Amino acid sequence: MTKTSALVARGVRLKRGSREILRGVDLHAETGELVALMGLSGSGKTTMLRVIAGLEPRDAGDVSAAKVGMVFQFHYLFEHLCAIDNVTLAPTQVLGVSMIDARRRALQLLDQLGVGHRAQALPRELSGGEAQRVAIARALAVDPPLLLLDEPTASLDPARRNDLGEALLQLAKSGRALVMTSHDDDFVRDFATRVVVLANGEVVEQGDPQRILSSPQHPATKELLQIERARKK
Amino acid sequence: MRTRLYLLVLLALAAAAPLGAQQILRWGGDAEGGAPFVEADPRDPSKLVGFDVEIAELIASKLGRTPQFLQVQFTSLDQSAKRGDFEIGLSGIEDIPARRQSLAASIPYYEFREVLTVRDGDRGRYRSLADLKGRRVATLGGTMAYDLLLDAERTHGITAVSYDDDVHPYSDLVLGRVDGVVLDNVLADRAMRRNTGLFTHPGALAVGHYIVITAPENTALRDQVDRILREAMKDGTLEAIFKKWNVWNEDQPELYARLVNAPSTPGTPGTLGTPGTLGTLGTPGTGEKVRSYLPSLFRAALITLVLSFAAMALAVALGVLIATGRVYGDRFSRSLLTIYVEVMRGTPVLLQLFVIYYGLASMIRLPAFIAALLGLGLNYAAYESEIYRSALEAVPRGQLDAARILGFTRMQTLRLVRAPQAFRLALAPMTNDFVALLKDSSLVSMLTVVELTKQTQIFATNIGSWVIPGLLCALLYLAMSLPLGYLARRLEERWRMPTV
Repeated sequence: MTKTSALVARGVRLKRGSREILRGVDLHAETGELVALMGLSGSGKTTMLRVIAGLEPRDAGDVSAAKVGMVFQFHYLFEHLCAIDNVTLAPTQVLGVSMIDARRRALQLLDQLGVGHRAQALPRELSGGEAQRVAIARALAVDPPLLLLDEPTASLDPARRNDLGEALLQLAKSGRALVMTSHDDDFVRDFATRVVVLANGEVVEQGDPQRILSSPQHPATKELLQIERARKK
Repeated sequence: MRTRLYLLVLLALAAAAPLGAQQILRWGGDAEGGAPFVEADPRDPSKLVGFDVEIAELIASKLGRTPQFLQVQFTSLDQSAKRGDFEIGLSGIEDIPARRQSLAASIPYYEFREVLTVRDGDRGRYRSLADLKGRRVATLGGTMAYDLLLDAERTHGITAVSYDDDVHPYSDLVLGRVDGVVLDNVLADRAMRRNTGLFTHPGALAVGHYIVITAPENTALRDQVDRILREAMKDGTLEAIFKKWNVWNEDQPELYARLVNAPSTPGTPGTLGTPGTLGTLGTPGTGEKVRSYLPSLFRAALITLVLSFAAMALAVALGVLIATGRVYGDRFSRSLLTIYVEVMRGTPVLLQLFVIYYGLASMIRLPAFIAALLGLGLNYAAYESEIYRSALEAVPRGQLDAARILGFTRMQTLRLVRAPQAFRLALAPMTNDFVALLKDSSLVSMLTVVELTKQTQIFATNIGSWVIPGLLCALLYLAMSLPLGYLARRLEERWRMPTV
């Protein structure tokens, strides 16, 4: 598999009022990668995802991204539709796929993510982890080369976390680029192929997760890990 | 010294006694009825003038008491008398059998003719109710004339149109909204002076009488009133009063001659020598009366239902457009729509109905039903739009972001994601509004649409009791609103998203 860039962002700046949220962030992602954005609350990691997705206007910088899919921290499934209808809505309405084909593909995705048996359930009837995986299926149904995930482990118990990690790696291997935000250093160490640490709207450190999370160089990374360790105790 | 003080106190008491509460005679009437019955003096609105005012003063002075006026709406005079709000009532009150049964009624003091008024150009074409087949004929609701027109609906195929006052039937006749008006000659004469281009046929469609009413148990006072009226007939006092108000005619001496010589207990002088169809007003048992009113009550309920559904449909359609405009529109259309909503919510719907029906009449002459539908629909659209707007805004932003990333256009997002969820949220308040609209629709009786409440009022006035008509009316309203509430609850249950 040849690696191609699914995302190249350069010098992204964004101001809210007088506060600079992003101060010239560079970020890239190739197919096959699972990139983790880490940082304390307010470091700008979620905002960066929203800028890449086109949900936030930027004040400066370039973003060249392939078609994007996004999974939000709170899943934001369409509450009036059952799981499978959430997944088929965009393919049928936006891409013009026939309902039969869309349903077949949706069931395949739901099965793959381990929630095939919940296809007829309404979002409110799903557990946090189930809803998360239905939301991933919904995002994948339109086949985006670049998938963004905001804190995908936030609503998962530890056992489910590993399942999700395996599933995400699988998705990356099948020819996609994945960018996720996460504050969970264990999850990042186990599954991410690269980590990018943000502090005050700037990239302060990046590289191999094992190396960076074992021997952090930047004070912000050290602080982040300390807080995370304290939280887990 | 002490004896003199004692005497002074006695004198003071004696002087105060005639001014006591017992010496006042409270009499009820409707000053809105206007001249020549009871109206505010144009030169001094705090004073009342009219022949009924003078007759009330005559009765009071003969009883040695001071008259005190109580304003009561014309259609409520009977109930008010029964409740004892006033001792005697007079305001062009007609002598009908139902009234005589439920109240103590005096001998008649004036004989009137029900006359037909048409536009001058139609005087050759419309000479009787039979000529007006298929046409709309107006009158004042709750009167003999209205019953006459209801009879004519069956026998001559006219459409009876009921008004709450005696001014608008004639102004609508001039405008062409109706083709004839049937009312008594006193009101017709007054209208002829006010409007040009009208013609009143001299022949009487029926003959009726004005009477004084008292509470049913107060027959002693009624007998005194009868005695006073007879005296006034003999000594020419009544003649002088009616001449002063220009309503004296040759019918009165004949009536007076009959009454002065009659035995003192009044029989049924109501419709002596009636040439018209008022004979059918004879009222047998209550059961039969109720049964005879049922079809018209059901018809009125149907009108209420059709009007409410149509007005709600208009309100929902407009409300959706307004809400969408307020959520998605530019600054200009947003502020325009906000102004519309605030004006419609901030002013009484009754005022809006009047403006649409009477106010716009010089520009566009809307039929009453259409005006009613528009008035209610436009008003409720403001309320509906607020419900939809807040429901649209209650759908989480995150879902809209998700839809945007999935590639939906704004229109698709509204249609497929936002609106369906907003509709579920709006359902309960919408049902509430519909039930409110069902009841507010009674306001359109002001525009001559006879819906359920109006028909009940007519029913109650004519049988002289609110008990059965009120119960039937309440049952019909409930029969219309309860299934709606049930349906809404079922839908809500089906759509409710159960929590884990």
